[in-house]
Amino acid sequence: MTTDSTQSSVREETIETWGGRLKLRVKIAGQGDPLLYLHSATGLVWDPFLSRLAEQYTVYAPEFPGTTPGDPDAVHVIDHLSDMVLVYEEMTRRLSLDRPVVVGHDFGGMIAAELAAHFPELPSALVLLAPLGLWREDAPVVSLAAASATELPGLLFHDHTGEVAQAALAFPEDPEAALEAAVGMVWSLGSTAKYIWPIPDRGLRSRLHRVAAPTLVVWGREDRVAAVSYADDFARLVKDSAIALLDDCGHLPQIEQFKQTTEKVEDFLR
Amino acid sequence: MKVTLFEQAPYRFLSPDFQEHHQSVCSTPYSLTNPSGVYSSLRDHIDELMMGARAGFDGVAFNEHAQSAYDLTPNPNIIASAVAYATETEGLDVAIFPMGRSLGKSREPVRVAEEYAMVDVISGGRLVAGFPVGLGYDASINNGVPPIEVRGRFEENLELILRTWHDREPFAWNGRYNQFPQVNIWPRPLQDQPPVWITGIGNPATMRTTLERGFGFNYFGFAGAKLTGKRIFDRFWGLSDELGLPRNPYRLGFLQTIAVSETDERAEKEYGTHVEYMYRKGLGSIPMEKLALPGGINIHGVRALMQDPADFGMYSQMRTATFGQLAEAGTVIAGSPDTVSEQLLEYCRTYGIGNLHAMLGFGSMPKELAEKNINLFATEVLPRLRTMWQDKQLDHHWWPKKLGGTPLPVAEGRTPATTRKAVAS
Repeated sequence: MTTDSTQSSVREETIETWGGRLKLRVKIAGQGDPLLYLHSATGLVWDPFLSRLAEQYTVYAPEFPGTTPGDPDAVHVIDHLSDMVLVYEEMTRRLSLDRPVVVGHDFGGMIAAELAAHFPELPSALVLLAPLGLWREDAPVVSLAAASATELPGLLFHDHTGEVAQAALAFPEDPEAALEAAVGMVWSLGSTAKYIWPIPDRGLRSRLHRVAAPTLVVWGREDRVAAVSYADDFARLVKDSAIALLDDCGHLPQIEQFKQTTEKVEDFLR
Repeated sequence: MKVTLFEQAPYRFLSPDFQEHHQSVCSTPYSLTNPSGVYSSLRDHIDELMMGARAGFDGVAFNEHAQSAYDLTPNPNIIASAVAYATETEGLDVAIFPMGRSLGKSREPVRVAEEYAMVDVISGGRLVAGFPVGLGYDASINNGVPPIEVRGRFEENLELILRTWHDREPFAWNGRYNQFPQVNIWPRPLQDQPPVWITGIGNPATMRTTLERGFGFNYFGFAGAKLTGKRIFDRFWGLSDELGLPRNPYRLGFLQTIAVSETDERAEKEYGTHVEYMYRKGLGSIPMEKLALPGGINIHGVRALMQDPADFGMYSQMRTATFGQLAEAGTVIAGSPDTVSEQLLEYCRTYGIGNLHAMLGFGSMPKELAEKNINLFATEVLPRLRTMWQDKQLDHHWWPKKLGGTPLPVAEGRTPATTRKAVAS
């Protein structure tokens, strides 16, 4: 739940897509070339990683349909992942994003990879943080939506008892805000699960050869949601790719290893 | 008042410490069973349903649970079919009431329509068609349906099934979840309209649909009806009043676990361990995350349940609950025929219940004890319940015509957002 104190500079814009039937709320901050950030299955939180990116880029972070407060039924508009990819492509045009850097984490990493595979010319560069989208018999991906509330911290973090994890996992003190945060997280998991349940494999493996953008695959060595062995699969299937593996790191590299992650990402994008 | 005998088919021979090591669904190791235990658990289940049919119950009822140690019935229509034929050969005029096929789970709704039609034909028109949305784990883990699609599938599948029974001409179906070039099932039910019942756990949206469409509504008192009953039934009749419908008790069904013996003391002594077995190793051993998968309950429902989880009754304490605690919460009504009758009469009168589903075989109960429970209930309790509501002289629109009911055609439904096909409007 870590939010960044500089987020007051974040503005919101609502973009109409899909013939006016689907509205996407996009959080925007920063200056510079465009960077599209696609959030994880648990929903969009403007965290220090996004603020850091906003120092060099104009960051556009759309909320996945269904995850925007006040518009939960948006999840029922689109049935198929392929249509959702078209929605995201439409959104980049409505926002006039010219060859943005595309960064995606977890579920958002899968959407980012799909976008880059469907529209190879769209991203100038691709950063995938522990993306979903592939399946290995020897390392089944763990579903966050099926996990119990008590299991989640241990799944998400290498060290969920550490200071960083505890701060990230803390819910707001105000009971109303805490309730809304919990409800929002449950609905985000449910909304994104529509496209990854029961197995987060919608055929991305067969499409990854189409990705043309230079790609960085970032993975925590101790990821207990999607094992680090998936990094090799992504790197092998995407032509122009590099891997950055992080020590003492679980499924949320940009939170648990903020410094290492930003260094690797900034080096790659430089 | 209609009274059915309801039973699940639990595996009856789990070890005393089962619940300390295992969940009762999905991951339960099948190595905990043995073939003779599996055979007798299912065989005795059917034998006991037949005892009920012979003992004078108005119907026999059962339900669907896959990959579950507490109910070995992945398809209740196989039980329904066996009991339909056996009762037909013995001339027993009882309703066959699967409660029934989970439509949130089903990927083959036409097959469900066909199976129910067959059961209706085999039974000579005695089917009561139950359609639960289905439990989260069963629809989404056992059958792979994304939780957020479960309700939409339920709604679409129900419409499709009702049409297969109703339409005289073959039709094409282009739904959100199903496409068929031509639907024209053989056989169709003998009844013009088999009574339709929906089981709910308290979701007002489900209740509203049953009222608007003219379906019956079943509530299962597993969470402890002394804790949840008033909330649920007041909500139901409140919605009924809002819609301007008459409070006909026959549209409401209530399932209660019941244990009858000669005295209150003997009831606890004879049935206590089996009550504990049922709740500790059954519902109590299904973890919350398997019942409430994200997306399965809409966001308003999630908020309502987080703010006020009282609809779950004593569910969260069940895994270690004692007989005393379970009885206190009302998950079981146990005692002498007088004790049991008094409590049931008061419940049914207070909450306007016109159909009681008496769960009389449960947990590790051996067949002989189930037989005692069934027969004592049938001879000592059932006669006192049966006359309830007679003075109102109301029609029972949710019961087969052959068995004295007057089923009505179901009303047209609205198309909810979850079912509408994603096309340009």
